[in-house]
Amino acid sequence: MKSKLQWVSSGGLDRSETGYNGLSASERSRLKNAICRGVTRREAMSMLAAAGLSLASAGSIFTTATRALAATPRKGGRIKCAMSAHSPGDTLDPQLFTSSIDFTRGRAHYNSLIRLDDALRPHPELAASFSANTNATEWTFKIRKGVRFHDGSKLTVDDVLWSLNRHIGPNSKSKVKSLLSMVKEWKKVDPATIKAVLDSPNSDLPVLLGTHHFKILKAGTDNFQNPVGTGPFKLNEFKPGIRSVHVRNDDYWCDGPYVDALELFAITESTARVNALLTGDVHLISNLDPKAIKLVESTDGVGVWSVPSGSYPAIVCMTDAYPGENPDFVLAMKYLQRRERILKSVLKGHGAIGNDQPINAAYADHCASLSQRPYDPDRAKFHLKKSGVTSAEIQVAEISNGITDTVLILQRECAKIGFDLQIKRVPNDGYWGAVWMKTPMHVSDWNMRPTANIMLSIAFGPEAKWNDSHWRNDRMGTLLKAAWAETDAARKKELHCEMQTLVSNESGMIIPVHKSSVDGISDRVNGMTRSPLGTLGGSEWPEFVWLTS
Amino acid sequence: MGSMIARRIAIGLLTLWVVSVVVFIGTEILPGDVAQIILGQSATPENLAALRAELRLDEPAFVRYFDWLGGMLVGDLGVSKAGGATIASLIQNRLSNTLMMAGIVTLISVPLSVLIGLLAAMHPGTRLDRIVSFGTLSVISVPEFFVATFLVLILAVQLKWLPSIAYLSGTENAWDLIRALALPVFTLAIVISGQMIRMTRASLLNVLATPYIEMAILKGVPRKRIVLRHALRNAIGPIINVIVLNLAYLVSGVVIVETIFAYPGLAKLMIDGVQTRDLALVQACAMIFCTTYVALILLADIAALLFNPRLRHPS
Repeated sequence: MKSKLQWVSSGGLDRSETGYNGLSASERSRLKNAICRGVTRREAMSMLAAAGLSLASAGSIFTTATRALAATPRKGGRIKCAMSAHSPGDTLDPQLFTSSIDFTRGRAHYNSLIRLDDALRPHPELAASFSANTNATEWTFKIRKGVRFHDGSKLTVDDVLWSLNRHIGPNSKSKVKSLLSMVKEWKKVDPATIKAVLDSPNSDLPVLLGTHHFKILKAGTDNFQNPVGTGPFKLNEFKPGIRSVHVRNDDYWCDGPYVDALELFAITESTARVNALLTGDVHLISNLDPKAIKLVESTDGVGVWSVPSGSYPAIVCMTDAYPGENPDFVLAMKYLQRRERILKSVLKGHGAIGNDQPINAAYADHCASLSQRPYDPDRAKFHLKKSGVTSAEIQVAEISNGITDTVLILQRECAKIGFDLQIKRVPNDGYWGAVWMKTPMHVSDWNMRPTANIMLSIAFGPEAKWNDSHWRNDRMGTLLKAAWAETDAARKKELHCEMQTLVSNESGMIIPVHKSSVDGISDRVNGMTRSPLGTLGGSEWPEFVWLTS
Repeated sequence: MGSMIARRIAIGLLTLWVVSVVVFIGTEILPGDVAQIILGQSATPENLAALRAELRLDEPAFVRYFDWLGGMLVGDLGVSKAGGATIASLIQNRLSNTLMMAGIVTLISVPLSVLIGLLAAMHPGTRLDRIVSFGTLSVISVPEFFVATFLVLILAVQLKWLPSIAYLSGTENAWDLIRALALPVFTLAIVISGQMIRMTRASLLNVLATPYIEMAILKGVPRKRIVLRHALRNAIGPIINVIVLNLAYLVSGVVIVETIFAYPGLAKLMIDGVQTRDLALVQACAMIFCTTYVALILLADIAALLFNPRLRHPS
C-alpha cells in the first residue's frame, strides 16, 4: 500500500485524452446510459469503435460506469457531504444562491420547471412539456399536475408565475437577472399553462430554466429560514454557515430519493476535508486538492470523481493596451502553450487541452471541426519578431489551482526563444477589483455556463461587461445575435463553428486547458451524477444517490 | 486594596476604548474598496453603488464610529453583510463553542502543567527534570499545525481511534462528544503546557535560590512544605501571567487548530470576516478578544495582589 505521506503527486496520472474524453458530452452520456442499462461489453466496444476509439482507450469507460453497474438502488442510509466553502450568507432563497452548497441545498429542497441531463439537454420536471414558436420569441410550458409542496398544498400555475417573476423587472434582486433580461413577461394561458414572451429571441430558454436559480417556490414566500418546496427532501435543520439536514420526502411526486437523510456542511481547510473522507467520517467531498488525488486513489474505500467540464483558467492579454494590442504578440503566446504538459503536471490529467476558446467538448454546441492549435515555438518566434515586442510583464495570483504553475511554464518557454516574460505575483485578496481587466497581462478563471450562447455572450461579446481582454469584434456581435435566435440545429452549428474559430484566432484570451471537476467520493455511494456544470456532478446528486451497506 | 483594583479596572476600560478606536481605524484603512471586494468578479457599477449605499460608506467616519460604539454598548453588534444575520447571533454560537474548548483545555492543562513544573523544580538536575526540560523545549519549538497534523495522521488516519474533524452535530451523547473533541483538546493542551511548565519551573527555581528558603532548609523544614507553603506563593506572579496569556490565546488565537479540525470557533469567524470584508463582524470579534485579554490580565493582577501582600502596600 502506498505510503500515506506521499502527498505530492509525482508525474501525474496516465490518461489517454484522445480516447473516451474525445467523445462529445452527449455521446459519452448516451454510451454511459447504455452501459448502465446493461449492454454487453462487446456491444459497448462496437459502439465505441464506431465512434472512432481504439480498444485500449475504450476500456476506461467501464471504470466510470462501474458504480452504476452495482446492485439496484437500495433505500436507506444517511449521507454526509462536506463541501469546500460555506458562510453565514448561505441561503435557501433560490434567487440569491451563490455557492455550490446553496445549489445542493436547492436541488434537495426544490424543483425547477426543467431538469438538465449530464449533457445539459433540457427534460421535463415541473414542466410536463415545453415548446417554442418558430423564431424563439415565445415559449409555452405546460405545468405538471398533482405536485404537492412539503406542507401538502397543491402546486399551481400562480406559484410558478410568482417564482419566475422574481427574476425579471427593475426591482428584482435576483443574481441571474441578466440571464432572463430578454423575457418581457410571464403570462398565464390557462390554469395549467404559462407562456414566456420575449422581446428578443432565445433558443436556449429551457436550458436556462434548468439551472440552479430558477426553482419554483410557493407564491408569497418571505421566510427563507424554513420555506416550502416540492423537492425530494424536506428541511429538518438549517444553520447557515454551519450545516443543514434534509430528510426524505416520502410524498415526492417523482421516484422518491433513496437515502433517508442528507447532512450538508463544509470543511474549508483542504487537508482536513480529505482526512474526513479518508477516515470515513463523510461520504462526499467537493473540490479535491490535486495534490491529494493520488492518495485518495490509493486508499481503499474511497475514490476520485472526475467530471470533464468547460471551466477554464486563462491568460489574458488586453487587446486595447500594449502589448496585447499587437495580434502577433498574442498569437506567439498562444503557440508557446505546452497544453499537454500543463494538463499532465498541473491538472494531473484531470481535464482536457484547450484551444484558446471556451466551448470545449463539454458543451452541446462544441465545434468538433476546429483544428487544435499545436505547440510551435518556431512559429511563436516568427510572430514575436514580427510584433517587435521584446519583453512583457504578467500579473499573477493563485485564483485557480495551478494557474501560477501554468504561467511559470509559459515563462520558461519564452526564455527558450529569448523572450523575457516577467511575473509579478499579486495577492488573491482584492484581485478581482484591482487587477482583473485592469492590467495589460494577467490571469483569469471561468466556470462553465449552461450553454455556449451564454458563455460567449458574457465573456466574449463586444458589449459584454466581463469581456476579459476587451476584445470588441463586430462580426462576433452579429454572430451571437443570430445564434440566440437560431432554432435550426445545423445552422446553429455553423454559427458556433465560426464564432469559436474567431475567438480562438483573434481574441486576447489564451486558454491552454479546461479543468475537470474533481471530487472525492466513498465507494459506498452509487448513482453519482456527471453534470459538468459544477462540483459533485453539478450538485444534481441528492435525488439520485444511494448507499450500499 | 479596593482602590488599587478600582484603578486597574479604570485603566482596563480606557484600554478598551483606545482599542475600539484603533480597530475602527484599522478596518477603515484596509486596502481596496469594500463594496468592490465583497462583490468580487460579479461587480457591476449598479450593484456596487447599491452596496455602497447599503453599507453607508458615504457617511463620514466618525459618525459611523460613534454609531457603532453606541450600538456595542447596548449589545446591538450590528448586522452581518453576508446574509443579513445579526452579528450577535453569529457570535453567540461560536463564542460558546470557543469557551467550551478553552474551558476544557484549561481544566486539563493548567493543573497538570503546574504539577509537572513543580516536580521538575523540586528535583532539579535529575533525569525527570532533564526529560521535562527537553520535552517542553521541543513542544514550544514545533508549530501547532505540525502537532495537530501529526496527531491526526497517527490517531485518526492510521489507527482510526478518533475522528479527524471535531464535527458537532448537536445530537451526540457524552462519549461521542469526548471522541469528537479529543484531538483538538489534546493538541491545544500540548501546545500551551510547554510554556506553563517551563515558566513554573523557572519561577520556582528562582525563588528556591533565595536566602530565606536556604534558611528554611537549614531549619529542617520538610521539602514539600518549603515548596508548597513558602516558595509557591512568591513564585506565583509570573506563573499566573503565563497562564492568563495562554487562556487569552485559547479564546482568540487558535485559528489554525480551528481550521484543521473544522471546529466552529470565534477566531476562524473573525478570519472569515476579514476575507469577506464583513467589517461589522471583524470589529465585533476584535472587541471581544480585546475585552477577554483585558479582563484576564485584570484577574491576573488581582490574583497577584491576593497572593503577595507586599504588592498591596507599595512603599
